[in-house]
Order: sequence, then C-alpha cells, then structure tokens
Amino acid sequence: MDAVETFPKRSQSKWMPVRRKRARQSKNLEPCSIAERADPAPALAPPRVDVTASRSIGRRILDRAARSGGFRIGALLLAGLVLAAALYPELSGIDPAMRDIRARLLPPLFLGDKWSWAHPLGTDQIGRDMLVRCLVGLRYSLLIGVASVAVTVVIGCALGTVAGYFGGRTDTVIMRITDAQLSIPMIILAIAVLGADRPTIPAIILVLGLSNWPVYARVMRSVVMAERGREYVRAAQVSGATHPRILLTLLVPLLVPPLLFTSVLDVARMMIFESTLGFLGLGVQPPTPTFGSIIADGRKYLLNAWWIATMPGVFLCLTLTSINLIGAAFERARNSIHGGA
Amino acid sequence: MDPVLSVRDLSVALTLPGRERTILDAIGFDVAPREIVGVVGASGAGKTVLSRAVVNWIAAPLAIRSGHVSFRGTDLLGLPPRAMRRLRRDIAYVGADPMGALDPTLPVGRQIVEKLRAVMPDVSRREAQARVIALLDAVRIPSATARFHDYPSQFSGGMMQRALIVDAMVSNPALLVADNVTQPLDVTVAAQVIRLMRELTERFETAILFVSSSLPVAREAASRTLVIDQGRLVEEQPTEALIAAPRHAYTRELVAQIPVIWGERPSLPAVPRAAGARPTDAIISLRDVSQTYRVKRRGSFAATSDLRAVRNVTFDIVKGDSFAVVGESGCGKSTLMRLLSRLERPSAGQVLCEGRDIARLSGAELLGFRRKLQLVLQDPFNSLPPRTGIGAMLEAPLRIHGWRDPRKIRERVRAVMDDVGLPVALYDELPLGLSAGQRQRINVARAMVLEPEILLMDETLSALDQTEQFKLLALFEKLQRAHGLTYIYISHDLAMVRKACNRIAVMYLGEVVELADNERLFFDPGHPYTRALLSAMPALEARRFRPEDCLMEGEPPSPIDLPQGCAFRSRCPQAFEACLHHPPFLTVRGARDLAACHRVPGAGAALLAGAA
Repeated sequence: MDAVETFPKRSQSKWMPVRRKRARQSKNLEPCSIAERADPAPALAPPRVDVTASRSIGRRILDRAARSGGFRIGALLLAGLVLAAALYPELSGIDPAMRDIRARLLPPLFLGDKWSWAHPLGTDQIGRDMLVRCLVGLRYSLLIGVASVAVTVVIGCALGTVAGYFGGRTDTVIMRITDAQLSIPMIILAIAVLGADRPTIPAIILVLGLSNWPVYARVMRSVVMAERGREYVRAAQVSGATHPRILLTLLVPLLVPPLLFTSVLDVARMMIFESTLGFLGLGVQPPTPTFGSIIADGRKYLLNAWWIATMPGVFLCLTLTSINLIGAAFERARNSIHGGA
Repeated sequence: MDPVLSVRDLSVALTLPGRERTILDAIGFDVAPREIVGVVGASGAGKTVLSRAVVNWIAAPLAIRSGHVSFRGTDLLGLPPRAMRRLRRDIAYVGADPMGALDPTLPVGRQIVEKLRAVMPDVSRREAQARVIALLDAVRIPSATARFHDYPSQFSGGMMQRALIVDAMVSNPALLVADNVTQPLDVTVAAQVIRLMRELTERFETAILFVSSSLPVAREAASRTLVIDQGRLVEEQPTEALIAAPRHAYTRELVAQIPVIWGERPSLPAVPRAAGARPTDAIISLRDVSQTYRVKRRGSFAATSDLRAVRNVTFDIVKGDSFAVVGESGCGKSTLMRLLSRLERPSAGQVLCEGRDIARLSGAELLGFRRKLQLVLQDPFNSLPPRTGIGAMLEAPLRIHGWRDPRKIRERVRAVMDDVGLPVALYDELPLGLSAGQRQRINVARAMVLEPEILLMDETLSALDQTEQFKLLALFEKLQRAHGLTYIYISHDLAMVRKACNRIAVMYLGEVVELADNERLFFDPGHPYTRALLSAMPALEARRFRPEDCLMEGEPPSPIDLPQGCAFRSRCPQAFEACLHHPPFLTVRGARDLAACHRVPGAGAALLAGAA
C-alpha cells in the first residue's frame, strides 16, 4: 500500500502535538522510572560488559532459559515422551490394534493381582496394550495439537498484523471476516466439516486451526495498532524501509513472541479438543487409537477398569506440563533479559 | 513569619533487591507563606522525588531514610493516612502530565468537584460547583460554566494544565507543589501559567514550591531558588542573586550553559563554505506547499471538515544551512516535517530536493532521496525499538539500502557509533537503562549511518535537560563540520535555535509568518507573533521585548475554521482594520528577510496588489 493512503489516517489523531509531549512526560510519573532517571547513566558500560555481552540477544535468552530448573525438567519430560511416542510402538513390536481376549482388562503394574510385565499399563476390554495405544494416541494428539496451533497462529497473526498496520478499509474487511468466523461455534463447524466427509488428519488440523484464529487476529491487531504510531516505525520509514520490511523485521519479531508463549497453552487446548472430537467419533478414525477414542471406549468400564479412561489423561497431563514448563522458562528468560537483568 | 513548610535533613533512597541508592541526601529548606520557591536541577537530580516527599507521596521502591517534612509544625512523614488525608486540603500537588492526571471518561468540572468534596466533605455539591466555576474563570478558561461540563479531550494541553491548577487550588491550600508544570506547555502558554501562579499567591495566600528543570523558567516564577545536584542541595539564594553570582561550581556551570540570546553574538554554527560568498543553490525548496486533512466533524455521523495543517509554505534551504522551523503546538511544524521527509505527500504545491519533486519519486530514486535526507526523532524512549540490540538497530538502514557484507556493515556501524560518541561495547546491548542523551545519540547514529546530506531534527533536543542539550549541540556542530551537513531543526525552543541555527522560519497556524536570519529575527522581528514568542521565552537576561507589550492572551484558533483575514489577529495586540479582511502576505524586509504582517513597511503595496 502507498504511503499517502495510509498516513493521513494516522495523522488525524496525531496532528495535535500535545499528545507527543504527553508521551514524553508520562515517563516521570511512574515510580520505576524515577529510579531510572535518578541516575544519569545507570547501567552503561561497566556493570554488564562480561562474556555474555558479546553474544546475541536471542542466544542470551536461550542460555538463561536453559539454566532454569523448570526448563530442564520440562525438556527432559517432553524429550522422553516424544522419543517414547516415536520409537516405542515400533521397537516393542506390539500392534496397538491387536486383540488378546485372554489378557483383557489387565490392570497396570503392581495393581490388583493379574498384572503382567508384558503390559506395563494394563490392557483394555479386548486385550489391547494400553501403553502402546496411549503412545500412538500421543503421537496424533501432539501432531494435531502443534500443527493446528501453528495454523491458528500463522493465520491469526498475519491477518491481525495486516489489519492493524494498514487500518482503514483493509482493517474493516479483515475484522468483519474475523467477526463472522467468531460467530460460528467451533464444535458446530467441526461437525459440519468433519461429518460431511471422512475425517482425515489434515482436515482435523485445518478445522481446529481455522476455528481459533480470530482471537489471535484481534490481539495482534490491537498491539500492532499501538506500535505502528510509535516513532521508531517512522524512523524505519524514513530510512527507506518498505511496509513488508517494517512488518516482518520490526513489528513481528517484537510482538509475536509474547503471543507464542500464550499459544503454548493453546496446544494443550487443541489436544483436548482433538480428544473431544475423537470422543464424538469425529476425530481420527478407528482402528487408529487416539486419546479421545480410548476414553470414549473406556468409559463403559470406568468402574472396574479405571485405567483405560485414565491413562490418556495421565499422558495428556504429562505432555502439557512439560510444554508449559518450557514455555514459562522462555517467557521468564525473555522478560528478564528485556527487563535489563 | 513562621515557615509554612520546613524540610530538615531529608534523605530518600531507592531500594532494589540487593542494592540501595541514595536519591536525596540530607535536604533542608523552608518555605514562607505566599512565597514561591524554585527548585532547579538536571533530570535525575531528584527533583520529582523531592516534590513527592514534600506531599508525603513516597512509595516503594523509594523509602525515606531520615529527616522531617513539617507543615505548620506537623511532621508529615510520620502521619497516619487518615490524618494525612485531612491535610490534603492544605497541601496540593500539580504534576507535569495534565493528560494523565484527568480521567478521560468524566467531565473536567465533575472531577474537580469530587476532589474538593473528598478533602472537604462539608461543602455541598452546589457550593462546590460554584466554587470550581469561579476558579476556572479565575484561571481564564473562556466560558467557564460551559467548560465545566466538557471532557478532558475537549481541552487543549494548556487549558488542561490550568484545570489541574484549579484542581489543586480549589481547597485553598496553604502550599502548592508544582512539579515541572510548564514543561509540556508552549512558551506563550507557559508564561501565562506562571503569571497565573504569581497572581494566585497574592490572591489566595498560597506558598508554592516550583520545581523545574530549567533555570530560566524558575527565574520567571520564583523569588528564591534551590539548586539540586545528584540529590544534594548545593545552593540556595534569592533567584536574581543566584544568577548574578552563583556560589557553587555546579550552579556556575548551569548558568553558563544557558544560551545567551541578546548578549554578545554566540558563535554561529560553523558552516563550511567560502567566506562571505553565500551559495544560492537550494538543496530543499518548498513551493507553495499545503496539506489538508479531512477530519470527522464533532457531533456528526459522516460529515468531515478540512483541517488545513500547512498553508502555502514557500522557502528555500541552502546547502550547509542550519535552518529552523519554530512555532507552538498545532502550528503545523510536525506536518511540515512529515512533508519534508516524504512520510506524506502535500495536497498542493511541491517539495523539491535539488530541483526534483520528491512526491513523484519512487523505487530506487526514492531510496536515493532517503539516503540524502534522514530524520532524528524527538522522543528518546519511543523512537528506539525496545527489544532490538543497538547494533542491529543501526544495521537496519544499511540493509535496507542494499548492504550485504556483514563485515562491512559492522565496520560502518562501529565507525558511526564512534562518531557520535557511543561506546562500541554497546553494540550487542539493548537500549535499556540508557539515559535520554545516550538514546538520542543512538537516534543520531541511526540517521548518520547512511551518510546523509540533510538531517531533519524533529524536536530532537526538547526531551533533554540543559546539560545533555549542550553536549548534543556540540556533537551536531562537530558532525556538521566533518560531513558538511545541512540541518533542519523543527523546534519550539527559541534559545536552542538562537544558538544553533542561522536561518529561521516562524510558523503560526500552518503559515510561515516570518522568515529571517538569526540576528535579524532576534533583534528586529517583523511579526508581532515572533515578538510574542521572544517576550515569552524564559531567559536569564533582560528581555528586549516586554511581555506586557507583546504577550497575547488566549490560544490559537482552531485550524478547522480559520478566521478571515490575518490568522493571528485574534491574539495580536496591534491588529487594525486591514487585518480583519485581508490576509497579509510575506513581504520583503531588508535584504533577505520576510514577514507576513500589514504593519511591515511596504506591506500595503502588496495588499493593494493583492486586492487589485
């Protein structure tokens, strides 16, 4: 878009120079900036010039995150789960769909009196091994959760950024589409799309991804609108940067990371949604096991074989905890580096 | 007479986990009733903390370490909150941020009534309203009864500051703490506010602690001045004596740094050009440039009005000039800056750079123009992307302009950082915790990295205190000499302009009303508005223009419905018949200076020619 079309829009609100002065003024009203101002050049060269000073900021954040205990626990847990999900079903040679009527409803290790080493997490009502079924289910859950959040974030952030940055008609059109999308309940959309055709994994990812992006679009739009009027954006324009460059090199790197940290929580939500779809029979179809279908099947045996319905939940819980631990460690590291520690 | 406020041995420290820093160190002074005491110091000296300590408004992470603040004999610092609340009617505080201090969702009058009833519950609502309206009238808010019901967004910055003074004065306080109240205001409005404060001390017997970062401003207001340097009270004298004979080294330095306006010629910026000969090749020319915005009309659904932000501006900027555009808020100088830097294209007229219309440039040609003209922005906190390393910030313009070799880029950036006096160790650091002056150096470096020929300074120095300004001006001079730069300063600070620029355009309501060389403008201004600006300018020396003769009341009319005839006539002390009907044109005075006023000799001829 052209400079002329975009700028008078902004200048309507900007032409009163008093506002800019206020921005400068507000600095000395917050207690923390009194501290900052109290020392003419607080953290200049001396305190921080050590080895870390020569490393890039991204690297420093990574290092700081990696030093925290939460990150290590989360990373170990996640790595273990991912490795197990990737390797164990093949290595063990157990077919998750193989029935064994003689070994049906075996409890997990050391529980009850019939447990066996062959089935560490027990078996279900037709003798299928729970560990393998859960790990295969985890594969799909993780795949669908991460991929659908990626779809959500990409679509939402792209549309929100464009709407917020350019404003005007672009903004109106994009935000009305967002409103339209928001008005369709996710589960109805899922039933409509997945019920019309055989639910495949890409279709599930798309449905989950498409149902959730408006939230991201709105958040992104509002932060971009706040940032685009800032002076450093103007400085970039004057140095000749094109709009895509400003968006991609200046605004997106600044604004997307905080959003990514919250989107980690959405991975959890999506995995739960996937289970919901599986429970409704609209998820990945049997015989492929998923968390949702395992729970749906195990529900009838809840009283005498609680482990069937519980095990997927345990795996879900472990995975989500590990992801959240990692996300939180990153968030803290980023905040402390950018907060001047 | 007993002092109304007496501060003894006051120390305040900033406590952060693991460390503690002293902000105020054993401060002691008295304020007598009806006295205005100025407090002056650089930013970061602890002035704001002091003014808050005086009103017992110190919160974590700040902590009082020792001392007393006694108000009429009561020690405020030990007072329980309840008793303190009762005392708030006698101690008032006005801050520097009028926009932030008023609730945008409530009418201004109602907020003040609420405050009054909070400190004096026995006043009835009706009574309170009458009192607020009377005071709004006293601070010269036009049609106070109607304005009482207006929202803060309908007030201008100056009016809001005056409303806040009403807010502070409404309970007839015995002590008013004014923390940098004039800083966000234009000079003419600031002069009005200071005059208002002096009147108030006489009418309401209020003592005022007038905190300011500028010594000339404090001189306008205060009869006695305290100088604070790094938390220590270094000097206390009657203001005139302080300026005439500063005792402490820091005060001497402070006084020496205030630019001299009308005294001996301050050294003109060294413009590298052949002695005597003045080149006439304009590097930037504006030809009849106008910019009109459409704004939504208030109270209507889709109707728009034309806001004429810049009207028919014509001037040339010669290579090597230090050109200044001065004027107050809303005069169109920011719009002019956007036009000059081609962030916007004018709705009429042309901006020529070396003879080419910059509105028509695109692609590689536009990039070439960008390389030639760079912008240094105003706000040191807003103008740097908060989460980008300083090196990366400075590399970005180079990458935009097609530099690819990372080693060369790094070399260039290091060279520029060295040039503007930034330690190269900051290369991989974030701009966190840097002082405003250091941040402004990054801003300059970002502009300089492309080796431009023209630097456009958009209020670059206005956020800095005197000492920082002084250093940066020296840097600008050095850079100009080394690289043959042309500067365009957009500013409201006449003292800085006097020191740094050789040619000056004065803008009022979107028009250039006077265009003159530095010397002529300050000694023999041709337009009454310029005279008003000069008379309102805070300075340490005797003024050539007395505010009583030149200073105007009120505020500029709205650029949406411009008055007929001369735009300045509503505030002009010398307006006469012709001003009512005919807009004045820029008229030549002397060799190369111009002013747009009917009072300029020869303007009549132009008027006749215009009428014919």
